[in-house]
Amino acid sequence: MIREWSGMRGIAAVPTYVVMQPTTLCNLDCSYCYLPFRAADKRMPVEVAAAVASSVGAFARAGRFSVVWHGGEPLAAGREHLGALLAPFGGSVEHHVQTNATLIDDAWCEFFAEHDVRVSVSVDGPEARNGERVTRGGKPAYDRIARGIEALRRHGIPFSALCVVGDPRPGVAAELYSYFLELGCEVLGINVEEREGVNTRDNRHAAADVTAFWAELVGAWRRDPRIHLREVEWSLRYAGAVLDGTADDLLPRRLDPIPTVAHDGSVVLLSPELAGFHDPRYGDFTSGNVLTTPLGEILATAADTPWIAEFLRGVQACREACPYFGFCGGAHAANRYFEHGRFDMTETDHCRNSKIRLLEGVLDHARDHQPTAV
Amino acid sequence: MPEITNRRPSDAVEVDPVTARVHDTKAGLAALIEEAEVARGKRAESTSEDGSAVCAWNHFENIPTFYNWNNRPR
Repeated sequence: MIREWSGMRGIAAVPTYVVMQPTTLCNLDCSYCYLPFRAADKRMPVEVAAAVASSVGAFARAGRFSVVWHGGEPLAAGREHLGALLAPFGGSVEHHVQTNATLIDDAWCEFFAEHDVRVSVSVDGPEARNGERVTRGGKPAYDRIARGIEALRRHGIPFSALCVVGDPRPGVAAELYSYFLELGCEVLGINVEEREGVNTRDNRHAAADVTAFWAELVGAWRRDPRIHLREVEWSLRYAGAVLDGTADDLLPRRLDPIPTVAHDGSVVLLSPELAGFHDPRYGDFTSGNVLTTPLGEILATAADTPWIAEFLRGVQACREACPYFGFCGGAHAANRYFEHGRFDMTETDHCRNSKIRLLEGVLDHARDHQPTAV
Repeated sequence: MPEITNRRPSDAVEVDPVTARVHDTKAGLAALIEEAEVARGKRAESTSEDGSAVCAWNHFENIPTFYNWNNRPR
């Protein structure tokens, strides 16, 4: 009988970070975006940030804690308002921002430095690969993205990058990695496009193509591993733990609840992509509102939210059915819902594209580059 | 080796097929893992106090957006 992976049982009472939505607005209109209200400027009142800040002090005392300003486009809230939202948080938390970079200028760079905000930009590779990233008028946004990133470089602000890949296949990965080396990011995450939120595009790809994409990415990274490449790091960390016999220690013991606090204070747990959606069976996916209930209290009763109870049964089903569970930890909630309409089934296209074929690609590369005896 | 298609482990085997494949690829993986360790050291990922975008390796899960593997924001 195969042993059962012991991690990812239940939901942790203390998160390691909280995702904040300072505004629903985004100044871009990327064709693959999952956000439903990105054309509207619904701003988070300072009272919401203050309510979250009053709870996260306890979380930060338990360990490192981060506040991620996500979107919409968080910089669309403006410096003055974002500064007011940051103010209630003490110095014990890290602030991060995930931005499309188009609004970054000297003043924003000074803001990042002053508030010690860690910056991550969204860009999909060379200009020709950013066709999905367009303005509200449908015009290419790449020039504005590049100008924003250049401002970061001019100010010596280190940055990470997130890249969405719509066509994972051989030939693409090496080009992308080369671009990001030149761009100068310290960290890179590759997100194969997903079907979720208002993006209903198919995300199925030929298995061999996706696996070869990841294998090629490993090869490109290996030739110049300056960038901390999220997918390669995690895969090698898992493989090393398997070889050391410590793989079962790798997954978190409990799922991080990852509270996402929407502009109005409502809290969606586990999958930010569910915020703003409604389902006749599951309601609006929220577990409470920080304006009426302390965040810690919302987290303590997380499993009472009906869709979360169903999701936890889904994680157990993954544990029992999938040999990749020790690597993956179970299909993400949003992918289950937006691909299958419920939370208690298992494998998704996201699992296949971004977990299973990733690990297979890394292993293919390792198999094909075994050291040769001399 | 093709993608593993037999997803449900059999009671008759001791090691799941993914673990088995990792062990079968041990030599190639060991070299890769060693190179990754060297690269990590050059990136000064041993400290989170340097103000860089990269955080400490031992806080792997706690780098939002980028590192939290499970249910990360995207």
